[in-house]
Amino acid sequence: MCARRALCRRRTPPRPNPPAPMSTDDVPLSSDAPDDDDDDTPMTDGVSGDGSAGAAAGATPVYVWGTNISVQDVNAAVLRFIRHFRDPRDAARRGVMDEGKYMRAVHRILELEEGGGSLDVDAHDVFDHDPDLYGKMVRYPLEVLAIFDIVLMDLVARIEPLFEKHIVTRIYNLKSSVCLRNLNPSDIEKMVSIKGMIIRCSSVIPELKEAVFRCLVCGFYSEPIMVDRGRVTEPHICLKEQCKATNSMTLVHNRCRFADKQIIKLQETPDEIPEGGTPHTVSVLMHDKLVDAGKPGDRVEITGIYRAMSIRVGPTQRTVKSIFKTYIDCLHIKKTDKSRLHVEDSMDTDNPNANKTTEDDFLRDKVEKLKELSKLPDIYDRLTRSLAPNIWELDDVKRGLLCQLFGGNPLRLPSGASFRGDINILLVGDPGTSKSQLLQYMHKLSPRGIYTSGRGSSAVGLTAYVTKDPETGETVLESGALVLSDKGVCCIDEFDKMSDNARSMLHEVMEQQTVSIAKAGIIASLNARTSVLACANPTESRYNPRLSVIDNIHLAPTLLSRFDLIYLILDKADEQTDRRLAKHIVSLHFENPNIEEVEVLDLPTLVAYISYARKHIQPQLSDEAAEELTRGYVEMRKRGNSPGSRKKVITATARQIESLIRLSEALARMRFSEVVEVRDVVEAFRLLEVAMQQSATDHATGTIDMDLIMTGISASERQRRDNLVAATRNLVMEKMQLGGPSMRMIEFLEELRKQSSMEIHLHDLRSALGTLMTEGAVVIHGDSFKRV
Amino acid sequence: MVGPQYDLVGNPLGAVRATFERAAAAESGGHEPVAAFRGKDWGVGEVFRSFLFEQGGLDMIPVLDESNLGLIKPNTLVRFRGMVQDILGNEFYVGAFKDGSTWRTNKFSDSSPFSMPHPCDSHLWERHLFHCVPVPGQNHWTRESSPGPDLRKMSSCLTSEQREKRKRDAENDAMDVSENGSEETSSSSKKAKDDGVQISNSSLQMSMNEEHVPEMNGVDHHIPGSSFSCLVKVYDMPESQVKLNDVSEFIGVYTFDPELAAPSDNSDDIMFDLMEDVTAQLPPSKVPRLHCLVWRNLSAHDFLPRAPAVEPSPILLKSIRQSLLSHLTLILGKDELAAQCLLLHLLSRLRNKVNVVTVGRLSLNFTGFNRESVSIFGNQLNNLFQRLLPYSQTIPLSIEYLNTATLQPRKDNRSGRLVTGVLQLPQGTHLTFDETLLQSGSLTSKGVENTMLLKNLMESQKVEYDFEFYKLEMPTDVQLLTLSEGKSNILPSDLVVPFRPSSVPAVNVSSEELESWRWYLTTVRSLPQSTETETYQMIQDEMVSAMREDRSLGCSELSRWLTMAQITAASFGEKSLSMEHWQMVKELERLRKERLQ
Repeated sequence: MCARRALCRRRTPPRPNPPAPMSTDDVPLSSDAPDDDDDDTPMTDGVSGDGSAGAAAGATPVYVWGTNISVQDVNAAVLRFIRHFRDPRDAARRGVMDEGKYMRAVHRILELEEGGGSLDVDAHDVFDHDPDLYGKMVRYPLEVLAIFDIVLMDLVARIEPLFEKHIVTRIYNLKSSVCLRNLNPSDIEKMVSIKGMIIRCSSVIPELKEAVFRCLVCGFYSEPIMVDRGRVTEPHICLKEQCKATNSMTLVHNRCRFADKQIIKLQETPDEIPEGGTPHTVSVLMHDKLVDAGKPGDRVEITGIYRAMSIRVGPTQRTVKSIFKTYIDCLHIKKTDKSRLHVEDSMDTDNPNANKTTEDDFLRDKVEKLKELSKLPDIYDRLTRSLAPNIWELDDVKRGLLCQLFGGNPLRLPSGASFRGDINILLVGDPGTSKSQLLQYMHKLSPRGIYTSGRGSSAVGLTAYVTKDPETGETVLESGALVLSDKGVCCIDEFDKMSDNARSMLHEVMEQQTVSIAKAGIIASLNARTSVLACANPTESRYNPRLSVIDNIHLAPTLLSRFDLIYLILDKADEQTDRRLAKHIVSLHFENPNIEEVEVLDLPTLVAYISYARKHIQPQLSDEAAEELTRGYVEMRKRGNSPGSRKKVITATARQIESLIRLSEALARMRFSEVVEVRDVVEAFRLLEVAMQQSATDHATGTIDMDLIMTGISASERQRRDNLVAATRNLVMEKMQLGGPSMRMIEFLEELRKQSSMEIHLHDLRSALGTLMTEGAVVIHGDSFKRV
Repeated sequence: MVGPQYDLVGNPLGAVRATFERAAAAESGGHEPVAAFRGKDWGVGEVFRSFLFEQGGLDMIPVLDESNLGLIKPNTLVRFRGMVQDILGNEFYVGAFKDGSTWRTNKFSDSSPFSMPHPCDSHLWERHLFHCVPVPGQNHWTRESSPGPDLRKMSSCLTSEQREKRKRDAENDAMDVSENGSEETSSSSKKAKDDGVQISNSSLQMSMNEEHVPEMNGVDHHIPGSSFSCLVKVYDMPESQVKLNDVSEFIGVYTFDPELAAPSDNSDDIMFDLMEDVTAQLPPSKVPRLHCLVWRNLSAHDFLPRAPAVEPSPILLKSIRQSLLSHLTLILGKDELAAQCLLLHLLSRLRNKVNVVTVGRLSLNFTGFNRESVSIFGNQLNNLFQRLLPYSQTIPLSIEYLNTATLQPRKDNRSGRLVTGVLQLPQGTHLTFDETLLQSGSLTSKGVENTMLLKNLMESQKVEYDFEFYKLEMPTDVQLLTLSEGKSNILPSDLVVPFRPSSVPAVNVSSEELESWRWYLTTVRSLPQSTETETYQMIQDEMVSAMREDRSLGCSELSRWLTMAQITAASFGEKSLSMEHWQMVKELERLRKERLQ
């Protein structure tokens, strides 16, 4: 009875099966007696009613109808498998004397009732143990699974006779999985494994399993009647001897047994869709415990039986349309991480290492490939080449951008202080140096990138606004960029054209990583954990090498210091570069065969690589690396103190050491290394140096000068100013009398120039006089001044 | 010698079944007589192809469209030209079954004329379903190019009695290959032609017919006002040969089965809500079914009248270029520079895509428009585009439009269908944006999404389709023209040209001229290009020296110059780029830059 029930459970289609047994075109149905052809069709009728009898070994061989599968043989094979299969990995650990993997599982189910009364069977194990059984199972899943259930029942009955629940076998991890769009008629009635994304779930449908009827006349309750293939045979006559009333039986709902059922729609995942195609979908039928196992949006791998049923024209008509509906009877569902290859940064996951243990194999291959890539010795160069391969040169800039994409480790101290892991980069450069293309490319790469033009971003606003320039009629879209790029890269083009107001908001964003918005009396602090990648044109549109970076960019030094790397991209008017650019453009237009193919990672791989690294690699500083970092930092600070220059120049600041840590962490991530090594630190120093040499070179002395970035005035400049002020003071004391007549600045400048060897401009003098005025030595009136 | 011994137009299924039964009978000795025909053609495709393309049968087949939906008899051969709007997946059907001792097929039909005994020996085959719609923005002239025979003749000359008889004839003929049958078809085709001529002469009679016919055909067979679409079932096709947004011509059996059309009021509907076929939402009464026998992708060439093939010689192309250019100049108020740029723009096409870089596109932005001038010149331009290009659309870009329009195609997972958006466009569409309507104002989130879509389309020729849980980028090839007051930063075009008209256009065009221009545009756009190595070198040198002169030149400008030079070369009918064209482009650029200042 029990076994029979198990058979029925599987066998019950959602709707009356077509009376005509289905056949696939590969395996046409022969209505003859079982023949020897192995390919013959499985019958939906499946194991004959004496399946359970077949389980009792000894009798004449019983075949699954229409096939050469001997019930006894399969029965024995299944029993062998469950009894004796040992996981080779287990064997090594525990020795041979222990019982098999699935026996242990059965015991666990009996003892703890864990797993919801189902036994998960890894199809790989079945194959390893008995390839023939595996083959039969995949080809005739209905029959073989029924036998699985019978065997389990017997087994359980022997161990624990009082255990009443059915244990369901759930097969998973088939050796090969089918692409959803490749399901075809020959797969019908076979066991298949497909991957996809759940897009819809129906509500839970109660499905009648056992019906109980009551006689309206005498109140007699019938025995529970099994639902057979979706149909209940309603008794016409009351079975009670004394009553025998006809047509008096009525269904008693609350004594019937129901099972849960749900239909979900599975859709192909984007990576399986060929270009110019749309995703295919398939319906999946879930029973009992599988109901609600997945939600819309989940990526799952489903093992099940592909089935088809005919469509009736009308409920009453017996004619059957020639069209079949297909669905998958689900046996096992495995959730694969929703979107594993997309960044969910560690900032908000409390324990970033927790998910490492749950290694799923949905993307195992992909991850393996990425790991292989990471082991290449030239991965760093390869990544650099793959980043915006159509933009030439600028390799060090690209390296910096890579660091930005990989990012450092954000750190949150128990005290509540947090250090950002995001790396901010500023590109300053001449027009036409493909800064914008770099930005565009980064925007495409980053998981939640926002690309905005400084002219049109209000930085914090949440709404977007179209404005029209009243003079030119040019239209501009203003959008709030930063909040939208939380956990992404915010690319701001034309940073210099951003309004001061908007730019000042960046202070908060770039260090605290929040944005405060005051609206309707409420001050909201929104997360803006974003890396900022900005690019700006120099003030005079071309970089003036005589002016400092500050003067060239005209940005507040406080904001400037928040950029970890500032790259100066100068157009050096180099014929070589021009030629290469020209060649590159030409090769884009004509498919020129003689352009050498550089080995690069394609965009999706690059994105996957970065995402994986960001999510799974949390590198820590090794002791040696920390030492190197300290040494290098001390060195950097010392450099300003070298005997050559008397002036004490502040070379590096604490902000820089944070930047260096972030950069070296990012570099370690690129190699999928959990440890920051010395070479990472060295490279980080080099990157900083490359950027700094360009951005913080004091043009008067040629040394690195962090002060230039911090205050806008370099140490040597400051000294020069001090000198000038002193000289001015002396001259004023010398030439002018207290309370005497005022003197024109031009004249005074002439005097000063005669005395001093320095090159002095009028504005220099003006600022020097300004200093004197604060001292109370002089009073300035327009172009002239007098001593007081 | 196998002639078309069947009435392929009036009773295509007869031919299908007869050939099948014959082929099955021939195979019957084998172990699996019919299995071999799965996913294969048993010869019927050949019969139809030779009939259509070699014997000129194509002209006899009516073109299915909204106007004649009610007129076409079910189970006859029709043509349908449309865009693949949605791919609905596969459908399994009983392809072949054994009726007694003969094998029958259901291929190319919804149901079998013979009742299927059950249980019976049967085979499941699969077919692909495509939801096709008339091409968005398709201009009227393209429909004139291949008119089918007038429908009225089908309904008049094929009374049901005749059809019955013909069917039987066809079946009988199937048994013995005789020349008798071919004679009959040819005579009927002759008759058909005569009828076609007769009726197209009297348009009055046509309109009268139109009024009467729907009544004859029942109530809801054709619902006026409903947007027309067609469910095409394609057989034996390797996966993904037909792509989304392809414009194709499908020739096949039009079926309408009133029995199937009846709404199935299933008691356990809730349960099967999710199992429900997508096709259930496309009732046959509104969406005709087409079982496709032969299909082909259509390019712009297919819309040109099948004139004797003219060799696109440079001399010929040059003269047409001149006439088109002077016409464009007239339309643009004697602004020659704008006309030159417009010509290049119209001839541009996407040639290559490397990562994010697209090569060959040339979007154009005419600035200096205001509402008045748009109503004059914009309308002129649109009229011209409508008469020159196969598909063109105008989008009035206003805040309201951006905030409310559905630009993005979206998958509705509830119904399982792709809900179309304005930007679901076939390759080669021309879009004109009128930005003069755009005023300052707030965009809603939808508005932002829409602007992002447009910008993305401009920059990388891609449209993101929304699949609810993820976005899918579909490559497109769309020509984009923006008319705006100042330079548009919302729609960043490749080429910005200040528009300086000096007269108001008033032009007439002859149809011959139009025809030659269409031919010119189509031909030039598909002209193959090759370049010698010396030219490479020369262009590189040119670029280097240009960069030396003007340091602000970047990759994008130079790349655009090269694109323009190549199009210029093509516009003269030259197969390869020469220095002369490069210089012309440089001159054009110089003039344009002067205007920008």
